[in-house]
Amino acid sequence: MKFSINAARDRLSKPFFSSIALVGIVGGIGVATFSSPSAAAAQSSYSTSSSSITYTAPPTNLVSEGKSIFEENCASCHGGLAQGSSRGPNLQGLGAATIDFWVSTGRMPLADPTIQAIQKPSRFNRQQTLAIDSYVVSKAPGGPAIPDVNLPSASLSRGESLFATNCAACHTITGAGDALANNVYAPSLMPVDATQVAEAVRTGPANMPRFGPGTLTNAQVADIVKYVMYLHHPNNAGGIALGHVGPVTEGFIGILVGLGAVMLFGFWIGGRSH
Amino acid sequence: MSKDTVTNKTTDWLDERLGVAKGSKKLLNKIFPDHWSFMLGEIALYSFIVLLFTGVFLTLFFVPSSKEVIYHGSYAPMRGQKVSEAYASTLNISFNVRAGLVMRQIHHWAANVFIAAIVAHMCRIFFTGAFRKPREMNWIVGVVLLILAIVNGFLGYSLPDDLISGTGIRIAFSIVLSVPVVGSYLAFLLFGGNFPGTAIIPRFYIIHVLIVPGIIIGLLGAHLAMMVRQKHTQFPGKGRTNKNVVGIPAWPAYAFQAGGFFFLTSAVLAALGGLVQINPIWLYGPYIPYKVSYAVQPDWYMGWLDGALRLMPSWEVVFAGHMIPTVFFPAVALPGVTFTVLALWPFIERRITKDNSIHNLLERPRDNPKRTAFGASVLSFYVVLFFASSTDVLANTFNTSLNFVLWTFRVLIFVVPAIVWFFTLSFAKETALVSDAGKRKRFQIISRTESGEYISTEADAYSERHEDQIRELPEALLGHHDHQGSKDLVGAQSSTHSGVRGVDAIFRDPHRSRGKDPKEASDAANA
Repeated sequence: MKFSINAARDRLSKPFFSSIALVGIVGGIGVATFSSPSAAAAQSSYSTSSSSITYTAPPTNLVSEGKSIFEENCASCHGGLAQGSSRGPNLQGLGAATIDFWVSTGRMPLADPTIQAIQKPSRFNRQQTLAIDSYVVSKAPGGPAIPDVNLPSASLSRGESLFATNCAACHTITGAGDALANNVYAPSLMPVDATQVAEAVRTGPANMPRFGPGTLTNAQVADIVKYVMYLHHPNNAGGIALGHVGPVTEGFIGILVGLGAVMLFGFWIGGRSH
Repeated sequence: MSKDTVTNKTTDWLDERLGVAKGSKKLLNKIFPDHWSFMLGEIALYSFIVLLFTGVFLTLFFVPSSKEVIYHGSYAPMRGQKVSEAYASTLNISFNVRAGLVMRQIHHWAANVFIAAIVAHMCRIFFTGAFRKPREMNWIVGVVLLILAIVNGFLGYSLPDDLISGTGIRIAFSIVLSVPVVGSYLAFLLFGGNFPGTAIIPRFYIIHVLIVPGIIIGLLGAHLAMMVRQKHTQFPGKGRTNKNVVGIPAWPAYAFQAGGFFFLTSAVLAALGGLVQINPIWLYGPYIPYKVSYAVQPDWYMGWLDGALRLMPSWEVVFAGHMIPTVFFPAVALPGVTFTVLALWPFIERRITKDNSIHNLLERPRDNPKRTAFGASVLSFYVVLFFASSTDVLANTFNTSLNFVLWTFRVLIFVVPAIVWFFTLSFAKETALVSDAGKRKRFQIISRTESGEYISTEADAYSERHEDQIRELPEALLGHHDHQGSKDLVGAQSSTHSGVRGVDAIFRDPHRSRGKDPKEASDAANA
């Protein structure tokens, strides 16, 4: 399912109006880059483990493996030292969480730099991803490490409320995602795991705002993550769920299936023209 | 003549006590033309009955109050949150009341089908010219019923006080505000102060469950009474004239057909309610004014208004020194013009055609290419608006730019009605030239003669099955129908005194044959 959607996205992607998306992506990363000093200042709240989220730096013994993977797959745009080039932004100081999010969700390496990065099956396994993370982090400190969310202690109910306040305006209240503006969309939250959600919240990939520790506490992020995980398999009482995109599909079913079926019955028992 | 049947016994019993024979005989013998397209209005009627039954059930458990309570019910993600009593009670209906969720869902599906059936019924009336004299008044009643159905649908949709519907009310408030001069007064009057306030839910509730349904029931009665009084229209055909009605009698034929159709309609609605999820408000959460979900659309019957709002450019029109809010044009002026023109259509058409005669025979859509083309063109305009209400869903589904989709619709809104106009017009004109257009194709038997010649002859064996069935009914139960074999019936149609039961079939021209009472005729028939 996930694969076919992504493949469809790949096939259908056209470079319409896409320069703005590129500006958005690059700009988003640029903002993250500029804000890294303040993130570094606030790093204490990331790095100290709280009961809700534990931030773990990637293992340093993977740096050399990461270096070779990075040079092979990433350096052509981001430069050999992750310092950035005319083709890709500077990654130094962004933190392991940022690198981990982009690589583990398959967005990097980028297939098409003219459109919003697409989530696809990651090219690397977990260890290779961590190796890339550790190599980039080894170039410059700063930014949040990789979050590990303690879901059992989080509150589903507070998560719903926080999600409705902070996330639903783009990702929709059911997490289905939707088109926003010129070729920019809020992706569906269905194919992501808890760590990736926390990474996205803390680092603000691409157009998404970054929710730092001053905006959301670790406990609040954990609550949100718990609710997003709930949305993967929500209470679907009432029968076949219609994609959770609101009344549009319901209208089609009501008219075509509801009225349609009754009209067929009418056609069956009623008279025809002579 | 009278047999000792249950029907006769019952009517005798009632007649001896209440004297119902005269009226009920007339009613039981009433003739209904039998065509599937005449059953669209019935779908609306039966959906409405389902709405009443399920609605009454829901009122037993719904609490129409904006008062904030802490939710302690069984739906975990809401537990401990501050929600309105309306929202909490809707969650309760969904998860804790026995059969509550299926009732809610049947109610919602029935509302969607109700309005869809009204629109389909209205299209049938329009495209066959059934609204023409003498039925203009009933057309207007129908338009008012449509408006009331849409309004009540919106109110009911808003009652659960969930995040999606609350956003809809927010939009409605802004729309009322946009009315020039009186907008802010009107909005504060309707909402009992500024948005959101606490008056909306109880007000919407009483309008939704009492006032609008009451008016709908009254108008529905008038709608049906006028139909009985004016008799049915029918498609032209053998033996059918402007002054008769050919069809099946109310009792027993039509009553069972209609009764069965009611159960079929209910069955479809119940199946939808039981099998397909609709409006899962627990996933939407309570409405809090500072919270918003993207991808908010209204129910389908409000979709065209939402689409109009989306397509309207943000022009700032200044009139006499005051700016008229952009929202006013798509959300107030458009529906105003729409329903005014719709209600006045019979009079507008008469202005154009100068046709002041009585029409009880319908036109087939191809018989009137211009009206058909105009209707189809206007309809396509609203269909485009309807699709425009899901620009975001379309952009996301087809992975293209939202702005691109929006501008596509801004072009389509002009292009599609024009194409539909030209296509429908030429199609109807072409079809009118085909001599046996619309007639059922007969089977042909191809045979070869001894000399090797092929000849085709029409097969009789496959003629109208449906008619044959009616023919097998006892003659006393027969209304007029136009089968070739029943010469006496065909003959009877030309005189008021038919000598056959089912004399109600004779259409009484309100202007000409007022003096003749068909009851005399039926008495004579029984003598």
